[in-house]
Amino acid sequence: MEANTLTSTCSAVSFDIYETFASFMKDEEISAPLAAILALTKLIELSGAGTMFELVKALNDGAEALKASNSNPISLNAGCELFIAFVTLLPHDSASFSDLKLELVRQGQKYAAEALTYRDKIANLALGFIKDDSVILTHSYSRVVMKTLLRAHERKRISVYVTEARPRGLGLRTYEELTAAGIPCTVVLDSAVSYVMDKVDFVLVGSEAVVESGGLINAVGSNQIAIIAQAANIPFYALAESYKFHRLFPLSQDDLPTHKPNILSFPLSAAGNVATPPSTGTIKPAPERGSNDKVRQMTAEQIACNPGVDYTRPDLITLVFSDVGSLTPEGVSQYLVGMFAG
Amino acid sequence: MATDTSSIPNQRVVETLASRLRRRQVVGSHETALETVLVLRQVISKARFSNIDQLVEIIRSVGRKLVEAQPKEHTVGNTVRKVLHHIREEYHTASQGTAVVSTSNNTLSIARFVLQGQPRKQNIPQKGTLNESHGTLKENNPDDPDAFARTLKPVLMEAIQDVLDELETVYDNISKNAKDHIHSDEIILTIGKSSTVEAFLKAAAAYRKYTVIIADTAPSYSGHDMAQSLSSAGISTVLVPDSSIYALMSRINKVIIGAHAILANGGMFAITGSLLAATAARAHSTPVVVCAGQFKLTPQWNLYHEYGALDFADPSSVLGFEEGNLVDKVDVINPYYDFVRPELIDAFITNDGDHPPSSVYRLIKEAYDDEDYEL
Repeated sequence: MEANTLTSTCSAVSFDIYETFASFMKDEEISAPLAAILALTKLIELSGAGTMFELVKALNDGAEALKASNSNPISLNAGCELFIAFVTLLPHDSASFSDLKLELVRQGQKYAAEALTYRDKIANLALGFIKDDSVILTHSYSRVVMKTLLRAHERKRISVYVTEARPRGLGLRTYEELTAAGIPCTVVLDSAVSYVMDKVDFVLVGSEAVVESGGLINAVGSNQIAIIAQAANIPFYALAESYKFHRLFPLSQDDLPTHKPNILSFPLSAAGNVATPPSTGTIKPAPERGSNDKVRQMTAEQIACNPGVDYTRPDLITLVFSDVGSLTPEGVSQYLVGMFAG
Repeated sequence: MATDTSSIPNQRVVETLASRLRRRQVVGSHETALETVLVLRQVISKARFSNIDQLVEIIRSVGRKLVEAQPKEHTVGNTVRKVLHHIREEYHTASQGTAVVSTSNNTLSIARFVLQGQPRKQNIPQKGTLNESHGTLKENNPDDPDAFARTLKPVLMEAIQDVLDELETVYDNISKNAKDHIHSDEIILTIGKSSTVEAFLKAAAAYRKYTVIIADTAPSYSGHDMAQSLSSAGISTVLVPDSSIYALMSRINKVIIGAHAILANGGMFAITGSLLAATAARAHSTPVVVCAGQFKLTPQWNLYHEYGALDFADPSSVLGFEEGNLVDKVDVINPYYDFVRPELIDAFITNDGDHPPSSVYRLIKEAYDDEDYEL
């Protein structure tokens, strides 16, 4: 990639930022934004930039490269922007430029280490809202939500409904982990959320990013659950670490950076959905095995035409729990303005 | 610790207030707030401490004791937090002038960068002139352990006086703009007897001619006292039973009620009947305005989950004990407070300006320090 060669010309050693990012991501505990921050600190370490201008340019190029290489860049975008804003907006004083670089690298690594404690902080905060005998609905798989539920299970009785979260089926992973911990758990079809909503005390979801409007970007299906929760007057809580605060302001689902024109578009030819580039010309119908009342499955091409994340409006969210405290959705924009507008 | 020996006279003052709170001899947000400040003033004037942490610990332990005595009176905790906030502010301004100040921790860190976004009263160096006479603040001086206390105490006393002044002028400040909120020939609905609302309505009556409809507010019937008080001030008053609140709502221009405590999410605890009035008002798109002093702002988010937070009163006023054959068959409860959701409230009129429920969390961040949320 062009951006990658640019970073490699800046340093003597060839440095592929995406490889670094991927290697950091291998650690289960580290989420995408933190891995992005660590990858950027590695970039600074290996960078031969002599002035602040060059360094910031290299960081921006690195961030672009990361974004371009990932199909869901929203959360790692948040991490990149936070780090770059920290580098540019905060006044630094150091003896020399190389000292400054060392300091920045140290700060980045220190933050990543500290950020791993944020999930505990959030779990403790959310604990006060979980009453004994609560029935909780959650969506897909989220490390923060898992921590919170396991922490709650130590002191109180809870039962959990988890949605299947098609097409990746991560809800089943939540189901396995909760059952292994002894928490009564049932998997709910994505389409059965409104059926089960009356039985639920509150909804708890994780997040990919919390945006400037106070809204939430999370695995597809979260918006549906939030709308149903509001209709049933059930609180909807989102758990988000502060490095996931992102300066986007989507007004509709189409404004998300993950939205591609082919997502949920109608087929151009009579033959069916034209999928994204790596596909054959016509779709192959699902193999018909016998009678018509067999369970049918979507094809991979059909699934590829569906979104992976969606946007939930702030008026549907009751509270956002973060390591900086409990925030109303309006409070989130306060933080973002404070961070990025200096 | 040096504090133990001198804490005995303090203990008596604190214990007296704690037992009065426990026995409900001190009732009402304003009363409890005033009493708490006076006790804290006595505690601080007699306290011995050689650094700021000891002082904070003393005040925190007093606060804990008082809050435990009467957890339903949230203003006790709020006042303690407010005093702590003022003390820290004074301490920081005073220690600003010295070189001993430990700003050695590198403020350069990403986590602190994120926290920059936190709404906080920015360091306004307006108190600088006050502290020039203090010179250096000697903390933890082994030869003269009281030096620190001596230099800081006068400043602290002033800070506490500020808090006291704020509490005493609450009603005046809230009623300042009353005439702008009420227009001539309006019909206002209120419930219960709130001194804040009373002062507010009386102040407006000096400028405008309007009618007030007061609901009974059974079973305490505090509406009756309110009606008497308002009518003796010359306001045209109508007393109605609670059941007719919804029926009359179409004729009502504004609902003005008081609050017992305001939570961080913008919701509030108010006397029973407030939720009824607020919901009826929402159905008719009538504005609901709450008059409350800032000392009622509580930095807690989820008190409404605690069923006990509703503060249950004597059930005999609902169903008397003389109803012999019913008493053991029927479970009678008499909740004193209602929780009103932030969506049902349009504005809070406080002594520090008018605010919508969505910015209450910001007021709380500015008034109290994060470390004090758990006393």
